[in-house]
Amino acid sequence: MSSVKSPVLTSSDQDALQSAVIDVCENAYFVFVESCDMPQFQALVEQVKSERGRGPSGRWLNAAVGFRGASTGLVEVVLPERLGTWLVVSLLGLPPESTIKDHQLLDGVGEFANMVCGTWLSKANENASFLLDMPRVTRMAPGWIPEPPAAGAYRTVVVNDLPLEVRAR
Amino acid sequence: MSTNSQGAATMTPLNVLIVDDSATMRALLYRVIGLADLPIGAIYQAPNGAEALKVLETQSIQAVFTDVNMPVMNGMELLREMAERPEWKDVLRIVISTDGSRLRREEARDLKVSLYVEKPFRPEVVRDVLSQIASADVL
Repeated sequence: MSSVKSPVLTSSDQDALQSAVIDVCENAYFVFVESCDMPQFQALVEQVKSERGRGPSGRWLNAAVGFRGASTGLVEVVLPERLGTWLVVSLLGLPPESTIKDHQLLDGVGEFANMVCGTWLSKANENASFLLDMPRVTRMAPGWIPEPPAAGAYRTVVVNDLPLEVRAR
Repeated sequence: MSTNSQGAATMTPLNVLIVDDSATMRALLYRVIGLADLPIGAIYQAPNGAEALKVLETQSIQAVFTDVNMPVMNGMELLREMAERPEWKDVLRIVISTDGSRLRREEARDLKVSLYVEKPFRPEVVRDVLSQIASADVL
């Protein structure tokens, strides 16, 4: 990633980032997204943390997609594994309590991040094409919780009563 | 997998190729194509353009749904290869991509792409694309 070409993210860019999440959730996953401030987000993070030990709910996933073109950077989506599972089940039209295989979870969450990144970039500049790297999905260590990133833009939202953070830099 | 309707009853079933590196997206498209009011023959899948070319060389395909950003050979490279092959001139090309930029759309149009669908898309959009095929708006 070249720091020279990294996008300078304005407040409207950050709003567009949140709009991209809403667009993807509502059009591909048929779920409504609510915005939330940091205290609300952290309360939900604590709630997820307290669910640890009951299946996959307490672990977090980080899905990162690099992009190149008029600008160069990275979009990351950070979400609890339980939300990732729910999103993939929803996208595939499976019954709500369905279980999915690990590779399906990682592939589906990567595709979610891919769509968020692409939607954000397309709306930011419809005259510039871009290339997206393959999504990289990482399962975070037990006990890890998201904190506000030191640099770049981020927005926190609630999806299906669970917290989701999107970051760009 | 096949469906029939009054408008499409006389059509020969279409063999479709889905090209996307995401197995989740391929599964979604497979399901959505099955909902179309159109006779569908076989649905083939490939994770990149290079694998798609192998399918095109060995099977009779009437419609290709392809992503753009893929490893090994991306969707635009696949379309360029297809444009070089006269035997594939009648294959319907449909791009499904997160890249909705004007430049990419123009590039796709130059490569004989009939329809360009942006992700995220509602399943009805792909169903409607196939209905256009059935009503001969596209072919």
